[in-house]
Amino acid sequence: MTGLSELYFNIDSGYLEGLVRGFKGGILKQNDYLNLVQCETLDDLKLHLQSTDYGNFLANEPSPLTVSVIDDKLKEKLVVEFQHIRNHAVEPLSTFLDYITYSYMIDNIILLITGTLHSRPITELIPKCHPLGSFEEMEAIHIAGTPAELYNAVLVDTPLAPFFVDCISEQDLDEMNIEIIRNTLYKAYLEDFHVYCSELGGATAEVMCEILAFEADRRAFIITINSFGTELTKDDRAKLYPRCGKLHPDGLAALARADEYEQVRAVAEFYAEYKQLFDGAGNNPGDKTLEDKFFEHEVKLNVNAFMQQFHFGVFYSYVKLKEQEVRNIVWIAECVAQRHRAKIDSYIPIL
Amino acid sequence: MGSLFRSEEMTLAQLFLQSETAYVCVSELGELGVVQFRDLNPDVNAFQRKFVNEVRRCEEMERKLRFIEKEIKKDGIPMLDTGDNPDAPAPREMIDLEATFERLENEMKEVNTNAEALKRNFLELTELKHILRKTQVFFDEMHDQPRQDEAQTLLGEEVSQAGIPALKLGFVAGVILRERIPAFERLLWRACRGNVFLKFAEIETPLEDPVTGDQVNKCVFIIFFQGEQLKTRVKKICEGFRATLYPCPETPAERREMAIGVMTRIEDLNTVLGQTQDHRHRVLVAAAKNIKVWFIKVQKIKAIYHTLNFCNLDVTQKCLIAECWCPISELEKIQLALRRGTERSGAAVPSILNRMSTKESPPTFNRTNKFTAAFQALVDSYGVASYREVNPAPFAIISFPFIFAVMFGDAGHGIVMALFGLWMVIKEKSLIAQKSTNEIWNTFFGGRYIILLMGLFSIYTGLIYNDFYSKSVNIFGSAWQSNYTLEDIEAHKVLQLCPNRINCTNLAKEPIHMDYRGYPYPFGMDPIWAISVNRITYTNSYKMKMSIIIGVAQMLFGVMLSIWNHRYFKEPLNIIAEFIPEMIFLNSIFGYLCVLCIYKWSVWPGDDAACAPSILLGLINMFLFKYEDYDDENIVCNQKTMFRSQQALQTLLVILAVLSAMVLLLVKPLYLRREHNKKLAIRSIADAVESAPEVTGEDVQIHDAQSRSSADPSPSGHGMDGEEFDFGDLFVYQCIHTIEFCLGCISHTASYLRLWALSLAHGQLSEVLWTMVLHMGFIFDSYAGAFVLFAVFAAWAMLTIGILLVMEGLSAFLHTLRLHWVEFQSKFYHGSGYAFLPFSFEVILDQAQASDHEVH
Repeated sequence: MTGLSELYFNIDSGYLEGLVRGFKGGILKQNDYLNLVQCETLDDLKLHLQSTDYGNFLANEPSPLTVSVIDDKLKEKLVVEFQHIRNHAVEPLSTFLDYITYSYMIDNIILLITGTLHSRPITELIPKCHPLGSFEEMEAIHIAGTPAELYNAVLVDTPLAPFFVDCISEQDLDEMNIEIIRNTLYKAYLEDFHVYCSELGGATAEVMCEILAFEADRRAFIITINSFGTELTKDDRAKLYPRCGKLHPDGLAALARADEYEQVRAVAEFYAEYKQLFDGAGNNPGDKTLEDKFFEHEVKLNVNAFMQQFHFGVFYSYVKLKEQEVRNIVWIAECVAQRHRAKIDSYIPIL
Repeated sequence: MGSLFRSEEMTLAQLFLQSETAYVCVSELGELGVVQFRDLNPDVNAFQRKFVNEVRRCEEMERKLRFIEKEIKKDGIPMLDTGDNPDAPAPREMIDLEATFERLENEMKEVNTNAEALKRNFLELTELKHILRKTQVFFDEMHDQPRQDEAQTLLGEEVSQAGIPALKLGFVAGVILRERIPAFERLLWRACRGNVFLKFAEIETPLEDPVTGDQVNKCVFIIFFQGEQLKTRVKKICEGFRATLYPCPETPAERREMAIGVMTRIEDLNTVLGQTQDHRHRVLVAAAKNIKVWFIKVQKIKAIYHTLNFCNLDVTQKCLIAECWCPISELEKIQLALRRGTERSGAAVPSILNRMSTKESPPTFNRTNKFTAAFQALVDSYGVASYREVNPAPFAIISFPFIFAVMFGDAGHGIVMALFGLWMVIKEKSLIAQKSTNEIWNTFFGGRYIILLMGLFSIYTGLIYNDFYSKSVNIFGSAWQSNYTLEDIEAHKVLQLCPNRINCTNLAKEPIHMDYRGYPYPFGMDPIWAISVNRITYTNSYKMKMSIIIGVAQMLFGVMLSIWNHRYFKEPLNIIAEFIPEMIFLNSIFGYLCVLCIYKWSVWPGDDAACAPSILLGLINMFLFKYEDYDDENIVCNQKTMFRSQQALQTLLVILAVLSAMVLLLVKPLYLRREHNKKLAIRSIADAVESAPEVTGEDVQIHDAQSRSSADPSPSGHGMDGEEFDFGDLFVYQCIHTIEFCLGCISHTASYLRLWALSLAHGQLSEVLWTMVLHMGFIFDSYAGAFVLFAVFAAWAMLTIGILLVMEGLSAFLHTLRLHWVEFQSKFYHGSGYAFLPFSFEVILDQAQASDHEVH
């Protein structure tokens, strides 16, 4: 499957690639956002979305609309599209698509554990889970009291099991440990996905490794920045860094030693693309936050994925772009609903 | 009216609608359906327009109606479609409608929640009933077997350790979805480390899910465990898997009692459920009677407000200003509709329609009927005619089926096709009423008149080719006779018939009378050709020439049609600089070629057919100026020219063609440049005069006249101002046009040879079908042959319809389409207009219905 994969690509995945490129064509443009931010009410928003690719997706919702209904419907549309693609996919694309869902599964697990920790009923938590990452055993998560139990009883049958092996040692399920579990899971997931994409080779590896490397580095930065002022030791922190990014190994070593924001920034100085992101970011009003800068960079990478043909990166990128779009619309909708228009412009346009 | 030749004359009009009458007026215009509104606020967002609230209310109403419709469909109640078309209700009725729908929706929702609660109750009771029944079996099994050993081995150790009497096993019973069982079992095992005992049994009858109404399969399970800790854990797992747990009494007596109680409650519930269903049914039946009409009303209101959103408010906010395109011939009706609208709304101030002049090119509106619509659609799919341009559709009515038939020439196939077309035409009304959504069928049905005509023409050409399912029919008696004796015929495989008037001999070299009777077969191809070995050679030569002649005739006709365009758009320059050179070019080469074909047919009879010169070589030599001396005795007769002065004539024609190509290339741009320069000169003089103190009125008039005349000859008829004149552009454009036309003439003429090629292919295919398939049925002499023939005929008929009629028909159709679009229309048709899309309720309702069908 190496070398000549472009030759045979269209036999198995040509239709789906075409489909996803078509879907991508329907992603909202800058012009649509300019119209959306002018909306006075959520009904205006609905009216405008009707003229885009979303069509009548809100037509059967009774007024007045709420942001959560819009959010659900937006997600539902993405999920329907993704499921359609997944149902038509064959190996190795199907595994690739499954990998995409794993990250949502991790999020769901963490959400459920946190919820149970705060003794919220499971029926209340389930609707909050991302539908892309739902799995059968998900709802039984709250029986677990320790990570080992969680693994042995619930996760051992899910595809996430191999990622979880590193977490079993944790003793208790408290806030801190949940964060650690989340990040360890993510680290294992990213590294595994990275290996899988490299094995696929060709343009897929080229595109996906770039995106995943950025994802890994972003996590490393954010973990470091968020760990300041917590009881997380530097050693523990270093264990959470995904080792498939461009920061590995020197940058990660430097990050592990960092004590404050400026030191993180100094690490980024050595990497051209991250330097730019840190330079443009600030917390003053009018400045973009570092998080937004990261999102912007991610969008750029994902859009670039569509520049090449015959690879699986477009599927990943489409899901991520759509996710960003959902975030944008929900952001705008929230601003509109709460009549808080000052920050309505801080969506991240997808070019 | 003959309006199909050109599109209708349109005018831009301004409508001043009083705000109170606007709604009714637009509604009247929508019923009329001859006005196309222009969007006067294209930059305004959909949600910032004036009537956005009304549109939104309509959408809300539609949502409610869809909800009710869904409920009606769920219950399978037929919706009454009386086909009546209510007027758009007055704006104040909208509130009534809204209230009605609101009431209905609420009622429906209430009924649904009630029904859902009842059904849930019912489901729970049914599940409980099943649990009691199934668990009884479990317990019975336990009692039947000597349970003592099992209990001891299971619990013996624990009992002895704890030193208390044998612990009683706790159990829970419940119901779970059948597909979740394996995961459930696995998780139970893992989470409880194998310390529970699960037993399950399937519920045979599927149960109804109260929310979705789906039928789901479920299982009864019972879990035995020991201790409180395990109990909570098991309960958590059950909750996680959405299993419903039910209390199950421990003693058989209690269970029996409970079962009886459950049964009576189920009975009670059943009656209540039935009543709820009846009520729901009554509400829905009442709604089903009106729902179609309601849909139409709401869609009309929505369309009206949508249109009103296109309008501008005037300064005083008292009236709406709309701009619209409308056909001039309909102005009366529009005025009438406006007056009606004003009367209906009871306003004092009438609505005013004001014609405007514009430089914009109006939309193209061809009035069609059910017969011409299909042909117009063929033309429009290439490109909608420019405004008032000559429309090729009326000519296509005849030329399209004819050219198709030239390629599809078989009377038998033609009959089948014509009958199919005829059936669709006769059954038209009932077929339309079926409202099929099958795309393929709708395509065929839409072209029913084309199919009918194509079939009829195919019968005609089939008779000319004398092809009837690839066999020839001897109607009038062949014009040939045979002078051979029976022995000769039996002894030889191939024999020649002598077409000459003199010097005919038989096999024994004795002179005989010629085999040709002396008069041709009265209509079409002589059937004798069907048994000749050189049939293909003969038909090829005939069909090739015929294709060229038909093609050149059609192209000439196309060029001639362009003169109507030039004259209508007042472009005399185009007549001189384009039409005339084009005619000369086409005629001097290809017109002449056709003349040669006919000349060759008529001058060389059977006697000296061998001397007939090749037309193809003749055409090539015409351009090489290579001629043999006509009177030279040494030259083989078929190398000679066709007639004495051919050399002079052909040289002249070639020179004419080259000259006309030059004229086509140069005259128009050069002339326009001269005009432009002249105008510039005059303008500079005029400027000088203007700056001088004494300005005479005459000078200005001359100046105006000049500028108008120079603006007119531009191709689009407007917009070409003096300043925009660009000689380079114009020259390149003309250059392209010239090259396109001259090369086009050659390639298009060659392209018409597809008439021959497809007709040959069709003939050969049907012959293959005959000899390879149907012929097989004739080889048995016995009675068994009848049965074989029966089967073979079926195969033959299938193949004939599948391959020859459908596939070959489609291919011939495509080629005909191409010949019309590329070869014919390129001679005169710009097709750069845009279609007239009137605001019409009929269209809007049809579209709504179509999209409705798509969804379901």
